[in-house]
Amino acid sequence: MSSIITAKDLTKRYGKFTAVDGISFEIQEGECFGFLGPNGAGKTSTIRMIHCVSPVTAGTLTVKGLPCSIDNRTIKKTTGVIPQEITLDIDLTVRENLMVFSRFFDIPRREAKTRVEELIKFVELEAKRDSKIDQLSTGMKRRLLIARALINQPTLIIADEPTTGLDPQARHLIWQRLRQLKSQGVTLILTTQYMEEAQQLCDRIVVMYQGKILKEGTPRTLIDEEIGKDVVEIRISQDQDEKLIGSLAGFSCGHERVGDTLFFYCRDGHDIRKKLVELDLPNTVHRPATLEDVFLKLTGRSLIE
Amino acid sequence: MNLSYRVYHVFVRNLVSYKRFVVPTFIASLVQPLFYLITFGIGMGAYVGLFGGKPYLFFLVPGVLMSAVGLTASYECLFGTFVKMIHEKLYDSLIATPVSAEDAVAGDIAWGVFRGLISGTLMMAVAMAMGVFPVSVPAVLLLFVCMIFVGVLFGSLAMIVTSLAPNFDFFNYYTELVLTPMLFFSGVFFPLDNFPAWMKTFSKFLPLTPAVSISRAVFSGVYSTALIFDFLFIVVLEVIAFTIGVKLMKRRLIK
Repeated sequence: MSSIITAKDLTKRYGKFTAVDGISFEIQEGECFGFLGPNGAGKTSTIRMIHCVSPVTAGTLTVKGLPCSIDNRTIKKTTGVIPQEITLDIDLTVRENLMVFSRFFDIPRREAKTRVEELIKFVELEAKRDSKIDQLSTGMKRRLLIARALINQPTLIIADEPTTGLDPQARHLIWQRLRQLKSQGVTLILTTQYMEEAQQLCDRIVVMYQGKILKEGTPRTLIDEEIGKDVVEIRISQDQDEKLIGSLAGFSCGHERVGDTLFFYCRDGHDIRKKLVELDLPNTVHRPATLEDVFLKLTGRSLIE
Repeated sequence: MNLSYRVYHVFVRNLVSYKRFVVPTFIASLVQPLFYLITFGIGMGAYVGLFGGKPYLFFLVPGVLMSAVGLTASYECLFGTFVKMIHEKLYDSLIATPVSAEDAVAGDIAWGVFRGLISGTLMMAVAMAMGVFPVSVPAVLLLFVCMIFVGVLFGSLAMIVTSLAPNFDFFNYYTELVLTPMLFFSGVFFPLDNFPAWMKTFSKFLPLTPAVSISRAVFSGVYSTALIFDFLFIVVLEVIAFTIGVKLMKRRLIK
């Protein structure tokens, strides 16, 4: 695999506000790369620079060896963008939306017609082919956005929070379609706030916070390195903390108090489970560590060892 | 300025979406000229008598023709573009394709010109139905050329306003304080001869005044050398307005 996108000290400033603060990363051809982070972390600013709709303030950014700039039509020609906001043409029908969009890429009409029919099938909108946009549900609109992003048969797809506001059925359909595209060799860049989405789709992720990359790696290694294997949540009043931490001290787990809950993050939860049974505490949850734990640790609260 | 043939693609997008609005806009484009021509032309014309040996309608039509084109192109590039930019976020998806911001804005100006031409054509048809004809067939063609220039000029001026508009209400300043008064200072309804000197000078610099002069000359076939300067004034103003309009819109679209 060779790298398709290279960013070095990439910076984006809007006036005095720094949205992206000198980040560096490489994205390999054919992988799914995820940008994770809370609102305002700089994810969208970063990907807008990648697909050349926002100028780079400082640093370098190349896609397929070409420097990103507003007027780089070559990059735009082979990139598909699934935007965060629904930017469909509400004056047009489902089919017209795709046909009109195909024009912008200079796709010959006959070819466009075939592709449009294929794409309508791909996102399961056959029954809505001639409906106007306001007759579609949010899930359908998001699916149409995916179809639209594929009209130019892109080799790079950028999806900015593609499942925000969707019900589980619609979300799973979109995940399947995105995985299907990846299996066809497309490079996928994803931003999301849903950790499950990142775990489902991404080969590698970076966690962004306040314009910087905090961590980079595969979802599995990030969980292992940052959290461990198991998490124990105990809902118990704070005055019990000292006693409880004392009795679990032998298991070398990190702990943290958040609101009404005391968290233990453990490399190996096997022994602590036995101890918990012994202690017989009410309101105890023992579960595998997830990306969400990593996310919260890195962006929200600091782990007290 | 990163312009390309893709301006045409943007124009076609507008044409495809226009299908749904054809009937209401045609009615509006027909009723408006009828209103002007009947109220001013027939109602007021009865009092003002002959103008240069011809009924008042012959004076009125060439002026109203240009103002109809200018106003239609303006409205399209004010309200139409604003809705597409802010409410429909159409520009956001356009600039993610090989269509550049300049292409998109120029495509919308071209669309405003087209809408202006529809208004102008309907106005001309109504005038002809009322027995008011331009002097010759070539004159009709030349009037269409004038309409295109006026459309580009007013569409571009409107783009400047749109690029600065925080909301819809902002357009009221332009339509009520600039466009509407301009009609009365540009010699559309009456000759400017009786204005005091400073007002005459002022009206000379309004973009509609030279267009009305040219239109009236073409309509009647009475030309003068002053028209060359009128034409040059329009062209220069147009180039400046287009450049500024596109640049400001690009600045607003790309952050």
